[in-house]
Amino acid sequence: MASERPLLTITPGASTPDEAPSPRPPAASQLPPAQPEPPLRPDRLAFSVEVPDPFCPSRRGDGPDPSASSQREREDDGDGGESRAVTIGDPLTSEAFPGNSIRTAKYSVLTFLPRNLFEQFRRLSYIYFLVITVLNQLPQVAVFGRGASVLPLAFVLFVTAVKDAYEDFRRHRSDRQENNRLASVLVPGTDSEFQPKKWKKIRVGDVVRMASSETLPADMVLLATSDPSGVAHVQTVNLDGETNLKTRYAKQETQVRFSQNGSIGGVLHCERPNRNIYGFQANLEIDDNRVSLGPSNIVLRGCELKNTTWAIGVVVYAGKETKVMLNNSGAPSKRSRLETQLNRETVILSIMLIGMCTTASVLAGIWVLNHRGELEFTQFFREKDYTTGKNYNYYGVGMQIFITFLMAVIVYQVIIPISLYISMELVRLGQAYFMGADKDLYDESSRSKFQCRALNINEDLGQIRYVFSDKTGTLTENKMEFQCTSIHGVDYSCGKDTDRYSVVVGDHLWTPKMAVKIDPQLVKLLRNGGTNKEAKLVLEFFIALAACNTIVPLVLNTRDHKQKLIDYQGESPDEQALAYAAASYGIVLVERTSGYIVIDVLGDRQRFDILGLHEFDSDRKRMSVIVGCPDQTVKLYVKDKLQNGVPEAIESLRQADIKVWILTGDKQETAISIGYSYGTSLVYILETELQEELFELATQCSVVLCCRVAPLQKAGIVALIKNRTDDMTLAIGDGANDVSMIQMADVGVGISGQEGRQAVMASDFSMGQFRFLVPLLYVLYTAFTLTTAITEWSSLLYTVLYTSLPTIVIGILDKDLSKATVLAYPKLYGSGQRDEKYNVNMFVLNMLEALWQSLVVFYIPYFAYKQSTIDISSLGDLWALAPVIVVNIQLAMDIIRWNWIIHAFVWGTVSATTICLFVIDSIWVLPGYG
Amino acid sequence: MRVRSPKNASLFGSLTGRLRLTRHVAARGLLSLSGIPAPIVGAFSLIGIVFVPIGLASLSASQAIVELVDRYDAECVSASDKVGFIQDTKTDKACTRTITVPKPMKGPVHIYYQLENFYQNHRRYVKSRSDKQLRYKDATNLIKTCEPEGTSADGAPIVPCGLIAWSLFNDTYSFSVNKKAIEVNKKNIAWESDKSSKFGSDVYPKISRKGDSLVAASWMRKCQKLYGRIESDIMASDEITVVIQNNYNTYSFGGTKALVLSTTSWIGGKNNFIGVAYVAIGGICFFLALCFVILHVVKPRTLGDPSYLSWNKESPDHPN
Repeated sequence: MASERPLLTITPGASTPDEAPSPRPPAASQLPPAQPEPPLRPDRLAFSVEVPDPFCPSRRGDGPDPSASSQREREDDGDGGESRAVTIGDPLTSEAFPGNSIRTAKYSVLTFLPRNLFEQFRRLSYIYFLVITVLNQLPQVAVFGRGASVLPLAFVLFVTAVKDAYEDFRRHRSDRQENNRLASVLVPGTDSEFQPKKWKKIRVGDVVRMASSETLPADMVLLATSDPSGVAHVQTVNLDGETNLKTRYAKQETQVRFSQNGSIGGVLHCERPNRNIYGFQANLEIDDNRVSLGPSNIVLRGCELKNTTWAIGVVVYAGKETKVMLNNSGAPSKRSRLETQLNRETVILSIMLIGMCTTASVLAGIWVLNHRGELEFTQFFREKDYTTGKNYNYYGVGMQIFITFLMAVIVYQVIIPISLYISMELVRLGQAYFMGADKDLYDESSRSKFQCRALNINEDLGQIRYVFSDKTGTLTENKMEFQCTSIHGVDYSCGKDTDRYSVVVGDHLWTPKMAVKIDPQLVKLLRNGGTNKEAKLVLEFFIALAACNTIVPLVLNTRDHKQKLIDYQGESPDEQALAYAAASYGIVLVERTSGYIVIDVLGDRQRFDILGLHEFDSDRKRMSVIVGCPDQTVKLYVKDKLQNGVPEAIESLRQADIKVWILTGDKQETAISIGYSYGTSLVYILETELQEELFELATQCSVVLCCRVAPLQKAGIVALIKNRTDDMTLAIGDGANDVSMIQMADVGVGISGQEGRQAVMASDFSMGQFRFLVPLLYVLYTAFTLTTAITEWSSLLYTVLYTSLPTIVIGILDKDLSKATVLAYPKLYGSGQRDEKYNVNMFVLNMLEALWQSLVVFYIPYFAYKQSTIDISSLGDLWALAPVIVVNIQLAMDIIRWNWIIHAFVWGTVSATTICLFVIDSIWVLPGYG
Repeated sequence: MRVRSPKNASLFGSLTGRLRLTRHVAARGLLSLSGIPAPIVGAFSLIGIVFVPIGLASLSASQAIVELVDRYDAECVSASDKVGFIQDTKTDKACTRTITVPKPMKGPVHIYYQLENFYQNHRRYVKSRSDKQLRYKDATNLIKTCEPEGTSADGAPIVPCGLIAWSLFNDTYSFSVNKKAIEVNKKNIAWESDKSSKFGSDVYPKISRKGDSLVAASWMRKCQKLYGRIESDIMASDEITVVIQNNYNTYSFGGTKALVLSTTSWIGGKNNFIGVAYVAIGGICFFLALCFVILHVVKPRTLGDPSYLSWNKESPDHPN
């Protein structure tokens, strides 16, 4: 669907010779009404909140009123009233302010060990394992050997630490690259001697000289630029996701001074660092004059200088105080919902464990009480050492109970299998690898693979209910294409051929960068000269397209000296598309300054003076430019070129009951037209004060569009949903402006919406943890004294190796459904959302099932060998092997898609366990021997 | 067996009418498109076919075994102070028992002693031994794990040390069939591996307790213990007379002692449990297979029918 809007009006100018009758006066009140909105479907809530946007009233950034800009953010910073003084060109006076080096890494070499351990021990279960390990070091209590009991925990900690270290190493590397980039900085004390300096050495007060296409190292106030009028163009895509060029100005006072004597002194008073990227307040004391500075005078770190040969600025905020860093709320350690749930279940299991241990120790106490008189001579107890006549390891009933309790804790610890955590780490690694290797998630045009950066939230992908998407460049490819047009009531269909029109400038050939399909009929009309009225209208139309915009043509060199490319840099993709379209038909915008534009009209170069300009705004829904030329009102269709399959993807997400919120820094028009093309309801949210109402309304809608949202506002909206519902949220974005939002959401997706993949069969994780009820039963036959039937090595191997390996492989490789099935039935996704695979009911069911299985595993061998000379360690081997077989068969029944690797691991584990048992029992040096 | 096939789903669906399946099961219904009834019925039948004959064979083998149990701890002490009697080293503790054989026993007839209420797996007991000392001649002093039976009163290390060796079973049996003395073969009652490697051939007890090292090895293996074998056959209604030297003290802790005579077969000793378990499981599997067949005939269902998927269960024509 297309959104139709009247694009421009051109008012008659004095110097236009051939007056064409204006079909309509250009007054806003008489505009043709906008295309009627699609009929509302009663089952969907559709409304629009018309609140004036306080946040970003101007795209140009030259006139936003700082006082109106996000009240909330300024409250956050609290001290907006205070100011800092910066002496231009004298970094020494600003030593107190932080330097320009940045740090996104979490650890340093020294802090790694304590901090990483701290992070890891945030997991409740790790503390549990630590307690167990410490307990096992006490000689009275030790059930397992000391070394053997430390190994599993040490292994888990080590694997996780290595993984974290690698991730942090990569962050360090990118920090180092960033910090060691070079910028040209004025040597203090000299007038105009610039020397390259590393970014990290730049300090507040330094004067930096920037060249075209350079990335800016810090937040700077512009002092002078190559343009005599002090204009500089910057691209802020890394900050707010907008790809167009923004105009920034150096104040005339500094510009003039610089061009006269080449040096600038003075003191700058500016507000304290804050997060608001659209606001800046400062004044400059120069030659006893006070010049006030606003947001249009500052260029921010992360921006790129474009279309300006050079610019000079003074650093006001450096390093972590730059607005881009302040907007980057740090990389929090995310915990997946599964992990949170696991922690909760660890608590439940701990309570059960305490119950079991209490039972065992109370029963042991009762037994000791009943046999108190007999224990001295009883062969298997021997309360006294006959030689010394003292008690041997017997401390009375109370102490006996306590020791039994501690020993029970150690023996039953397996109820919370540490292998679960190892498995989870490894499963995630494996999944990340396979996601990366998935050909369907490979973008051929950018050669980018799916990259999984935070490993611990893979499994949440299956449980998303809210998708927050950044529109810019995510849903659209940020490219628009001119498709068809209607000029004065005549439709010109979509073009077929692609043709590039070139302009001859001197001995160079200038060609527009993008080719557009053109309609031969229109070309014919244009080329045949403006004889009839229709041809004239068409010509005017294209001149209007070329003239009435804010496009800045950039001339790029190509390998061929004679060839040059014209790249149109503009505020929005639709403007670019229109300018490229006009260029393809032979009306090429060649040059733009603030005073005039030069358009090559079919080889005839014409200069148009710009007499007035009224920018596009959403009320008038048009843009006007007054030039010395004929005028015409035209209608045309623009269709946003959605990224391949986006409507389908959104529709599929909707079917899966996933709520899509589109948070965009881009303008409403584009967002609306995307919204219409989904055929669904939409909401504008321009006001964050109305959170309550916003939440209530918005959660009822399946698709929500939020426009003109600043990075932190995006994060705020995500947090709103996250805090008020239990649902999982996923944020998608492509630029640095989405970082906050991505970090806030449960799952952040860095590049594109590829989350349709069914993720994990989490229920597999809870497997096996109850098989070790076997020792509990066994205790009944040892007078509650916690002898282990299974050798310590076997039981440790059990948790770590015997049963976790196949689980890992299956967790990685198994999929519920083939991709095709998932794509065909998006509603299947609901099963993950409702936590069908892994929830409390499943947990209880699993436990009951495990209880039953452990009863079977224990009693069948017990009764079978009761009347025989088979001793406990032989039976112990059977008890060790049986659960492994049971667990693997159970897994085999849960597996939905078999492949040879899974086969190998499942059956391999069973045979490997058997072999291990043989080896442990038959080699003398191993502890199981006997 | 978990419910995870469409076939299973329909089983439950038909049993309870409009029962709404758990979403979990329902969602899986579609997933296991390959879970067609034939393999399920086939698998159950196969288990039945394999298990029932095994069970029947085990049962018959177990039934054919003749096992005689004679508990003697109470009858062999006439004194009222049983503990005092057993601790008195001077009294004659000989005790004669007579057992009539009801069925012919084919040799070899295994002789076991069986202790009850003896917690041989008690932690204090199990841990009190030194494997190294038993294996290596030079490891005589490795008695740390043997407490409280590590050293004798004069401080010399005990070999073999530990509670297990200390509490060696020291009752002896001598047999005669129809008043004719019969030899008990006490060879090969310990495991071959125990003799060859676990217990070093050059390690001899330094504090002698009754019995040779082979008996010690057998005692280390705990549960019902093999005492020896009678190699010849014993006929029905033969009378076996056993003279027991009743030395071992189970009276202080209320334990029982019994003598067990048993023939063997390919399943080992007499134990009906294995056979019953096999037959029961095989029978259940047959029954399940039959159920599925009947269900499929009575109420067939298309496999992978999307109407069984969870959200379809919630659609208007399936009101909750």
